[in-house]
Amino acid sequence: MHNPLHIDPQQAFGEMAEFQRKLAAGLKNLQGLGEQAYADTPREAVYREDKLTVWHMTGSNKPTARVPILIVYALVNTVWMTDLQDDRSLVRNLLAQGEDVYLIDWGYPDGADRWLTLDDYLNGYLDRCVDAICKRHGLDAINLLGICQGGTFSLCYTAMHPEKVKNLVTMVTPVDFRTPDNMLSHWVQSMDIDLFVDTLGNVPAELMNWVYLMLKPLRLNQQKYVSLVDILDNPSELKNFLRMERWIFDSPDQAGEAFREFIKEFFQQNKLIKGDLQIGKQPVDLGMVTQPVLNIYATQDHLVPPDASRALQKHVGTTDYTEVAFKGGHIGIYVSGRAQREVAPAIHQWLRDRGN
Amino acid sequence: MPDQANEFLKDYQAFAQQSWDAWMRYLQQQGQPAPFAPFGMGAPAAPQNDLLARSLSSLKAYGSWLQQAAGAGLGQMPMGNWQQPTAMQSFLTAFNQPFAQTVAGIDSASAFGLDHQWQSWLQAMQQNAGTFTMPSQMATFGITREVQLDQQALTAAMQQYAQINARYQGLLQKVNTQGIARLQEMLSQQAETGTQVQSLKALYDLWVDAMEEAYAAMAMSDEYREVFGALANAQMHVRKLQQEQTEHMCRELGIPTRSEVDSLGKRLQEIRRQLKSQNKGGSAVDASLVDTLQAEIASLRRELAASKATKVHSIERKASDNGKTASPSRRAKATRSATGKRK
Repeated sequence: MHNPLHIDPQQAFGEMAEFQRKLAAGLKNLQGLGEQAYADTPREAVYREDKLTVWHMTGSNKPTARVPILIVYALVNTVWMTDLQDDRSLVRNLLAQGEDVYLIDWGYPDGADRWLTLDDYLNGYLDRCVDAICKRHGLDAINLLGICQGGTFSLCYTAMHPEKVKNLVTMVTPVDFRTPDNMLSHWVQSMDIDLFVDTLGNVPAELMNWVYLMLKPLRLNQQKYVSLVDILDNPSELKNFLRMERWIFDSPDQAGEAFREFIKEFFQQNKLIKGDLQIGKQPVDLGMVTQPVLNIYATQDHLVPPDASRALQKHVGTTDYTEVAFKGGHIGIYVSGRAQREVAPAIHQWLRDRGN
Repeated sequence: MPDQANEFLKDYQAFAQQSWDAWMRYLQQQGQPAPFAPFGMGAPAAPQNDLLARSLSSLKAYGSWLQQAAGAGLGQMPMGNWQQPTAMQSFLTAFNQPFAQTVAGIDSASAFGLDHQWQSWLQAMQQNAGTFTMPSQMATFGITREVQLDQQALTAAMQQYAQINARYQGLLQKVNTQGIARLQEMLSQQAETGTQVQSLKALYDLWVDAMEEAYAAMAMSDEYREVFGALANAQMHVRKLQQEQTEHMCRELGIPTRSEVDSLGKRLQEIRRQLKSQNKGGSAVDASLVDTLQAEIASLRRELAASKATKVHSIERKASDNGKTASPSRRAKATRSATGKRK
């Protein structure tokens, strides 16, 4: 049999020396770099309540869209993934297309938010954010763009308040939480969530981060940093790397009660597609979502498997359903070069086709 | 040549040591680690979660492996022995227990690991073995009976946690073995297609692929799900008992407890919800009042219009009685006015 290993010893010594050289030199480069800023697209706070802020994002040109779009992000991590850096910003790309963009920054929950439920988040906070934007524009309904868990929230909200949503866009959104390839879901099935929340109260961000890293432990905790050595001498790439690290680890704690409900009702019992979900006292029936729906999923998503998102088509009530498969992963859908070219134009065109 | 290689390695080691020392010094400036690991699967931790803190152990493991691989006479091994699991394991020994190490290297300050706690506890128990009865097996009595019971429950919970953690570590160990087997399969496939791994970094990347595949298969198994869940539950159980003991102590000292704060927070949130709901209800009442008033206004307008129409009719009749006819334009104006008001 042919020997698949052919590593020249001389070359191996060279690799070893090069690695150490880069490492030693790279430390100097790292020392000069502080906290990396996000894109920080100009914005104005238009609504605040408790810890959340609704930001109106402003581009260099006046929006051409008639109906504004509200980005509803997940409670895990922060919404700034959508506005990460100048040349990797979903927000900027949407603004450049002429969209009028708002986003919700949920803030960082603390002990005072321990008892916030999904009802408080959706029928309370989110509903009041939508009302504030509707009032600002003199409209009865706006467009929603829900991302990940925020997409699930947007679906629930639309089902409960259909009159306030004109068009719905969901991105990397879990709908069927029990697909066989969903590792997160698999892990939580045997967990006693009541004991978990009763003990922890709010769920610490560090613990959430740890769980995400454990999905691919060697790749995310070792290989990534080994590969970092190769960019230590490239200030631009190093800054991008550090910015992404900031976003990954700068994440909020999870309000205990909302977390309890989300894990039990969605992940463990998969009630969203079973049709027996209730938020507060309101039933959530995806059949009530009759607005046009654009569902964008990532083909290599290790957090929300494509099937978990694609399930929406079977359960949603609309006859105007569009699905877009993005070649990339859960994060690449915002920050990759392909994403900059494809995602915002696809959303804009879809909205435009619906008279936006 | 071997002398040259040894000389190089010696210089390299000195250089590497200087480099690690510099990184360590920098790391220490960023903040010292504190003990932690979620679900008790780790040892030291850095609360600031600095990039260097997370990356250093990975880089060091990789650097050690490069050194070992190059220094161990790469030309001989495992070039010819890659099909033997022990040879591959030995070749990758710098990454010994990679998952356990990686898990231990994931730092956090907020989810307290129990490793350091139960290990010291276990050591104390082992040291006293033979002369000491496990607290959980002792009869309880006297004024401290309740405290003894609490302590027994905590001891039992920690024992259970230790057992489940051992099972979890066992699964990670299995992944190591299965990962090496997967790497050999991948190398076999390369051998069949005639492709070759030509650098240590390429071999490392292939090893990561193999290990991740093995890990993913394990992580999606029923056994892993059960052990992962049990481990999380066991840790929460221990922490809950610890919290209860702490609260007991706080109550005795007159210090507010977390349960009390939680209870206040819960009541406050309920009141906020009621308030918001009442405000919303209040708006609904206002809206219905407005509707009623609007209906009344409309009704009054209709009455007014009808009354005006009657007046016009009576004027027309009067004019007719006097042998005069109202002009068409005047009649139309009167009718339009009444209709418009009705609208």
